Amino acid sequence: MILSPMEITLLKYLETGREYTIDEASKITGLKRDAVMKASHLLQEKGMAEIRTKERRKYFLTEEGKSYLRDGLPEEKLYNLLLKNDVEIESAKKVLGKEFGIALGWLRKRGIVDISDNLIKLRKRAEFREREILEKIEKEEVVAGDLNELLRRKLIDFDEEKEIYVRILKKPEAELKEVIKDLTPDLLMTGEWRNREFLKYDVKIPSKRIFAAKYHPYERIVKECREIFLEMGFTEIKGNFVQSSFWNFDALFQPQDHPARDMQDTFYLERKVELEREYVDKVRETHLNGWKTGSTGWGGYWSIDTARKLVMRTHTTAITIHYLAMNPEPPVKAFCIDRVYRRESIDATHLPEFDQLEGVVLDRDVGFRHLLGLLREFFLKMGFEDVRFRPGYFPYTEPSVEPEVYVEGLGWVELGGAGVFRKEVTKPLGIKGRVLAWGLGMGRLAMLRLGMKDLRKLYQPDIGWLRDLPSVVR
Amino acid sequence: MPVITLYWDELERMVEADREEILEKLPLLGCDIERVEEEHIDVEFFPNRPDLYSVEGVARALRGFLDLEPGLRKYSVVKGDWKIVVDGSVLDVRPRIVGCVVRKLEMDDEVIRSLMQIQEDLHWTIGRNRRKMAIGVHDLSKVHFPLSYRAVKSDFSFVPLDFDEEMTVAEILEKHPKGVGYRFILENKDLYPMIVDSKEEVISFPPIINAEKTRVTEKTTDLFIDVTGFDENVDRALNIIASMFHDRGGEIQSISIVYPDRVEVTPDLNPRIMEVKQDEIRELLGFRIKVNEAVRALERMRFGAEKLENTIRVHIPAYRADIMHPWDIIEDIAIGYGYDKIELEYPSTNTIGSVHRWNKVRDIVREIMVGLGFLEVTSFTLTSEKLQYEYMNRSAMAWKDYVPLQHPLTEEHTIVRTHILPSLLEILSMNRHHTLPQKIFEAGDVVVNSKNRLKLAGVITHSKAGFSEIRSIVQALMMELGIEWEAEESQDRAYITGRSAEIVVEESVGNFGEIHPEVLERFQLSTPVAGFEIDLSSLFDVGEVI
Repeated sequence: MILSPMEITLLKYLETGREYTIDEASKITGLKRDAVMKASHLLQEKGMAEIRTKERRKYFLTEEGKSYLRDGLPEEKLYNLLLKNDVEIESAKKVLGKEFGIALGWLRKRGIVDISDNLIKLRKRAEFREREILEKIEKEEVVAGDLNELLRRKLIDFDEEKEIYVRILKKPEAELKEVIKDLTPDLLMTGEWRNREFLKYDVKIPSKRIFAAKYHPYERIVKECREIFLEMGFTEIKGNFVQSSFWNFDALFQPQDHPARDMQDTFYLERKVELEREYVDKVRETHLNGWKTGSTGWGGYWSIDTARKLVMRTHTTAITIHYLAMNPEPPVKAFCIDRVYRRESIDATHLPEFDQLEGVVLDRDVGFRHLLGLLREFFLKMGFEDVRFRPGYFPYTEPSVEPEVYVEGLGWVELGGAGVFRKEVTKPLGIKGRVLAWGLGMGRLAMLRLGMKDLRKLYQPDIGWLRDLPSVVR
Repeated sequence: MPVITLYWDELERMVEADREEILEKLPLLGCDIERVEEEHIDVEFFPNRPDLYSVEGVARALRGFLDLEPGLRKYSVVKGDWKIVVDGSVLDVRPRIVGCVVRKLEMDDEVIRSLMQIQEDLHWTIGRNRRKMAIGVHDLSKVHFPLSYRAVKSDFSFVPLDFDEEMTVAEILEKHPKGVGYRFILENKDLYPMIVDSKEEVISFPPIINAEKTRVTEKTTDLFIDVTGFDENVDRALNIIASMFHDRGGEIQSISIVYPDRVEVTPDLNPRIMEVKQDEIRELLGFRIKVNEAVRALERMRFGAEKLENTIRVHIPAYRADIMHPWDIIEDIAIGYGYDKIELEYPSTNTIGSVHRWNKVRDIVREIMVGLGFLEVTSFTLTSEKLQYEYMNRSAMAWKDYVPLQHPLTEEHTIVRTHILPSLLEILSMNRHHTLPQKIFEAGDVVVNSKNRLKLAGVITHSKAGFSEIRSIVQALMMELGIEWEAEESQDRAYITGRSAEIVVEESVGNFGEIHPEVLERFQLSTPVAGFEIDLSSLFDVGEVI
């Protein structure tokens, strides 16, 4: 049973079975009236106390009563007069005035005096308890005895009043000790806790809400993807956001008049950079006539000035292709998950910057079939059990493929693109063997994983959303 | 990428297959089905296959893919007695012209609809919005051969399509909707290309507008088609259109193009020949495909294919504009074979994985910050000078510090950030309605002088947020990073003077303090904020950044 300290105090000081007014109980226990009331109610709920409200008469003195108390009662005055001598009626009348009749009547009624020959004689000694009672009522003390006579004489009157009483019905059998609310160092050091019980709390009541510090949910998905790559033996690479058009487009055999290179779709910067000579000539020749790649090339013109222009990279392939050019000997496995930029207006599914995931494998004896095998494994590790492949188109891969994964509730969902880098891409850069490459937009993955409908949330975070989203998303 | 509307009745009739089969197989040919309706489907084809931008082209490809009509389709061109004389004056303006005549064709609604669709889509794709290539279609009966293709001045006049009175070239470019729409192609030119017939009447003002007089109507039975531009793209477009009319049963007649130095006859619908090595097929696909199977796959993709000793000789239809390299053909072998039939194999390439140093450092500081009770946020790296510097009481120089975008799309995104702290204040500003305290951080990329750097910033906001709390955070962070540092009073006016410090490790690597009330006001923040930012690239080796 859980008893609060004030309940215990009440049980300790009040006798079982006796009724106390709240004032009385307060006086006895030293608790405040409020505390007594609250403790009484708590005990009543536990069946250990009873609270009753009773009507009570509160007596007070009338004006007459007050003057009698001050000057003495008429019969008392007469009695005191008679104590010395017998008194003639006429002289007594003079002393007592209009009170004489009352005084004589009372004294005769009680057989204290006799009258003979106009003389009032005392027959026996008497006590006047009325004065005592009036005094008690004046002091608001409890009066025992019959008050009807005083009421009749209109010396006192009363008001009806309600009074609350508490009565202890029973006390707990065990010895009453104060329960522990806060386990203090003092309780621990003295060992006092052993003798006490712990106040039990209501475990169903929620406590104040606090918020976990945590990683961004999107970063968790990025981490998961990085781990998959690392488990599969890929090297993580990193590149600058600002790249030359050469590495972003030309090295990937994107013709210089390709619509993707328009100012409309790409953020250009107003500066140009010097390019690595060793690559430029071969790339130019490949664009113009295919060089030694076996391709016809794009024909037309190729301007080094266009290639020197800086851009905010439009894909991470600008980094992977440069890395492969720097590491042209197989085997190479590399990946990159990083920011790319497109000149797009912001809406729920389009952002001017977002993250791309990309992986490349460079080896001698790998082909399209191995790319498909790699994709199946990669998506399997990401939890997509069903993968299928459709032909795709990307300017720098041949063959190209669009993988689709099966998502419960959504059906087949296109997830990224893949292909074997064209010979027009690898040969001018001196890359030996074939390059299997695939990539996907991380936003798409985040939407599938976090059930997001609006990509803006990823980069314009709502703290409420972050706080509410569990770290483990099922 | 163009989305083509294909009407079921037409498609089913031309393919000779039902819609279920078509719907199942079409994606395996290479396209995205955007919409399936009762009357039609909308399909997005890839930009390397402009020959599929018409129902005729799709039906042709599907009939091969479904084994109904595998192999090369024969296209014949009747030698025509038509001539276009190219004047030397136009060679510097828009030097190439090709064309053909189409006869014996019933010009019903279907044909006109298909023609208009492919014309528009070819203009967009191969034509690069008519810049590189533009197609004109004319009622042959209104055209008097031989034609002259020449350059004229801006006062030259004729009656353009949709108008009933003569306009000069200058007026057309000024007032005609097509003139206004496409004059950018002829900007800064003082001569304009013009096709004029033997009666000295204008046929077309490429690439802007045709003449009214050659308008194609429902009475039209024979067509003259011109394609102008700069290079082989004109031939590609003409071949696609001529093949399409041929598929419809039209007779294609050739036109002689007489240049000052040579004569060309167009169109040439003969297939090109390319030989593909059998070894190369095996190497690129990664598995051995039987030569007969490769031949069958090619035929399914409507190539002609002959098995030779070590190669396959492939006949490429004239409408295939995308075949530049043997690998383009090998991809079609894979598609014809069926991506779904390829047995998957994980490559045996043996390498050891490794994490980039950049992310090693980043992950460590992220762990520390979460441990210190901060919530991780992510934000855009594109921002504005206003937010990065003006709002922060700071200044910076374009290029030396930050990278400005040449053609920003909005005022909010004009530069790449050099600092993360302003991004965090912006996030606090967006989250004023959420419970305090708020403690957030981001570790990520900034771009300084065109190169990426790794920075970390954190902010705290609540009614008592202040200097000593953020100093505790910086102290703990630097202790965890194992770096000795000293604080020196900061002059950075993003912070309150006297309540901010530079984090000095030999030189300043960052700063922290109470954000200045002026800054808070600009971000509409009404509780105190304390924050810090630190440049991790100057403290750690963050590895090679390409």
